[in-house]
Amino acid sequence: MSKYLIKRILRSLVSVVIVIAVIMVMIYSFLDKRSIFANDPVFTKQKNNSREVYQMQQWEKYGYLDYVPYVDYLTQELKAGRLDEETFKSVSKLGKNAGADSDAVAEYVKKFTDKYEKDGYQVRRLDGIMKGKTKKYQDGGQPQLFAYKDIPVINRLFSYLGGIFSVDNIHNASGDVGERGLEFTLYDPAYGGEKFSPAILGNGTTHKYLLYFDGNFPYIHQNLLTINLGKSYSVNKDVDVFTTMTDSQGSYVRSTVTYPSGVVEFTADDLHSATYSEGSRENGTLNQKYYVDDYTVVNTVKSGMSKMGYSFVIGIIAVLLSYFLAIPLGITMALRKDKLLDKLGTIYIVFITAVPSLAYIFLFRSIGGRMGLPTTFDMQNPTWIMYILPIVSLALPSIANLMKWLRRYMIDQMNADYVKFARSGGLSEGQIFRKHILKNAIIPIVHGIPAGVLGALTGAIITERVYVVPGIGNVLTTAINAYDNGVIVGVALFYAILTVTSVILGDLLMSMLDPRINFTSKAR
Amino acid sequence: MNEKLVNLDEFNMSDAELFAPVNQDELASERITAPRYSYWRSVFRVFFRKKINVILLSVLVLLLVFIYVYPMVIGYEADDRFANLLDPDGKHLTPAAAMEHYGSNIHWILGSGASGESTFDAIWYGSSISVTLALVCALINMTVGVIIGAVWGFSKKFDLFMTEVYNVIANVPYILLISVVVLIMSASFWSMVFALTITGWVAIAYFIRTQVIIIRDREYNLASRCLGTPITRIASKNILPFMTSVIVTLAAAEIPSYISYEVFLSYIGMGLKDMSLGKIIEDAQASMLTPGWEIEFWAPVAVASIITVVLYVVGQNLGDASDPRTHM
Repeated sequence: MSKYLIKRILRSLVSVVIVIAVIMVMIYSFLDKRSIFANDPVFTKQKNNSREVYQMQQWEKYGYLDYVPYVDYLTQELKAGRLDEETFKSVSKLGKNAGADSDAVAEYVKKFTDKYEKDGYQVRRLDGIMKGKTKKYQDGGQPQLFAYKDIPVINRLFSYLGGIFSVDNIHNASGDVGERGLEFTLYDPAYGGEKFSPAILGNGTTHKYLLYFDGNFPYIHQNLLTINLGKSYSVNKDVDVFTTMTDSQGSYVRSTVTYPSGVVEFTADDLHSATYSEGSRENGTLNQKYYVDDYTVVNTVKSGMSKMGYSFVIGIIAVLLSYFLAIPLGITMALRKDKLLDKLGTIYIVFITAVPSLAYIFLFRSIGGRMGLPTTFDMQNPTWIMYILPIVSLALPSIANLMKWLRRYMIDQMNADYVKFARSGGLSEGQIFRKHILKNAIIPIVHGIPAGVLGALTGAIITERVYVVPGIGNVLTTAINAYDNGVIVGVALFYAILTVTSVILGDLLMSMLDPRINFTSKAR
Repeated sequence: MNEKLVNLDEFNMSDAELFAPVNQDELASERITAPRYSYWRSVFRVFFRKKINVILLSVLVLLLVFIYVYPMVIGYEADDRFANLLDPDGKHLTPAAAMEHYGSNIHWILGSGASGESTFDAIWYGSSISVTLALVCALINMTVGVIIGAVWGFSKKFDLFMTEVYNVIANVPYILLISVVVLIMSASFWSMVFALTITGWVAIAYFIRTQVIIIRDREYNLASRCLGTPITRIASKNILPFMTSVIVTLAAAEIPSYISYEVFLSYIGMGLKDMSLGKIIEDAQASMLTPGWEIEFWAPVAVASIITVVLYVVGQNLGDASDPRTHM
């Protein structure tokens, strides 16, 4: 069994990788790459040549291409010792066009062009744009020289997949951080250094706190292993999708915090989330007041749950509720076939299956609103009744679906030969029902449980929109509307992994419940 | 009875004159005297036996008349919704107010919309786009899906390959695929058809494949194969008739689902740019929050629901009727 399982997991992983490759081809190759700037305010402010350069910089940042400006090349030469400071300064100043270059500049421009064209790069030179007939450049009109090369999908795929898990280590922080190493303490300095609370702190790592305890579930937290699903471009700029999905939202929760410098303040800053930013203490006057090193970038503590949290709470209750109600209802429908309850249930099933989901969600909403239930989600003043309508809207359709299939399977089993045989053998109807029909009919239903539970993590698009739930369901649609490629790939990967896992778990659950189902035996 | 008996001696003829030998006809003895069975006639006989089906079918015909004939009769064009744009008092009217404002006729029985257009006319025009989209998509997906599903079910090599393809395609988010196609090709009717059919057939093919596998190894097919029937003949004569009711039932669920899907896509802002039912519902969303204007939203939603429910129920019942086991 375990051998089969490993094979199965590997095959699923291959499918997931292919899915990501397909999606990458779709959004990076088929779509115009200019579309990512559609909602970028910085882009619209840029003018002339600097806009082109900005485009190149962003495309490099988001993995479209490899971009090397002329100055970077010179800096590289300088660091390698092939160039001295003086020549560097003199050759880095480009003329307004190729003809206006000084001889030394022209020589290095030629070197630059030759070197990168040989490596398959495209070299572009943008001539200076002058203000009328003066000798001054227009805004952003400075001449530019750079080389760029598209990154093939396959490279992008591998670098993306390779970067999904990153383990923090003490060589991550660049620059001078003093002695690099890990430190174990029993008295977490974030609590003032007196309260007993073990923690592992790092110096030279990206995160200051690698392991710590606090009062929130699950009490022990780590920053050692981070999951990166891709950086957002416009939805939540420069923040990883996984962070967007899992970070808490809402209003700030303030508490008394002792900063590393000893300053005590009533603030929402979460010192446990401190990450490294080179030179930040020196450059920020406020940072000097609070911190003693460059671990100055902190998150804030917020009152609400994360996007995934809200979606999951609503989704999981809906799933539980639907199994809890649909199984007895489906059984009753099958046992009282063609009676009143069966007919009512069928009408309900037809209604849910045929009517557009939008229509019945709005219908539930207006009925709920009439009954005085809150129809919008208010993160600031959470009450439990605001969860009712989203949960009901999610549960009712899945109840219909479960009822439909359970009734179907039950009726199929009731007509099976073994049931007739059992009856002729003298078993009571109750025994036949419990020991034979139900046991067989419930197996396909059980197969869907993992998909239901894990599916709760992906949220629901319409329900969350209609009730303004700050959940995960709309992350993908928002990202698509904003052309946020990083988020699209990240969310798609997340979805794909969840689907694949739920299918495997469903099969496992089924084979545990039904000894006849055996995935390993080949003879069939 | 006895009076009818004839005495042969009265004719004064020899046996050879009286009797002529008749050739033994082997074919005649094979003929079955039971009434002729026609599959489709039986399907319709069973279908129309239920009163509710007659009613539903009449409703469906009425709906189709409104969807396809009504906009043609009144000569509705997509731009007609802006005909009353400049009339400041003609917008967002309740049915009663609209009839008072524009005159009492069928156009205004559902009031007027945000640009002073007749909600009633707009809904039917939009329905014609949505229903056509659903029918075209269902036709393409069902045809491709059934053919590929049949091959998928029969060929073991193809099965391995297609199962992997299915795993991949089923994992690409549908919304993403549609939005990429729409972004590349613009949100026109045919690009929407393309987006909905490029992978839409896979789920149908998978369903058909499972059905084929179930029936493929039944005893009668095994016997047929032992007797040397070619696979194509088994597929078309032994299995396809079995599948008719499954296919009809599936189609009955597919057509309304495309209408629902179009409404959903419009709602999340990825739908058609044409004035489809989904687009009308999306445009009317804001009106729903204003007291007195709710009908602008609920009217198209109700019509969409009625169309999908009627199509679904008629299709399901036709599917039931096309199962030969109900023909007794």
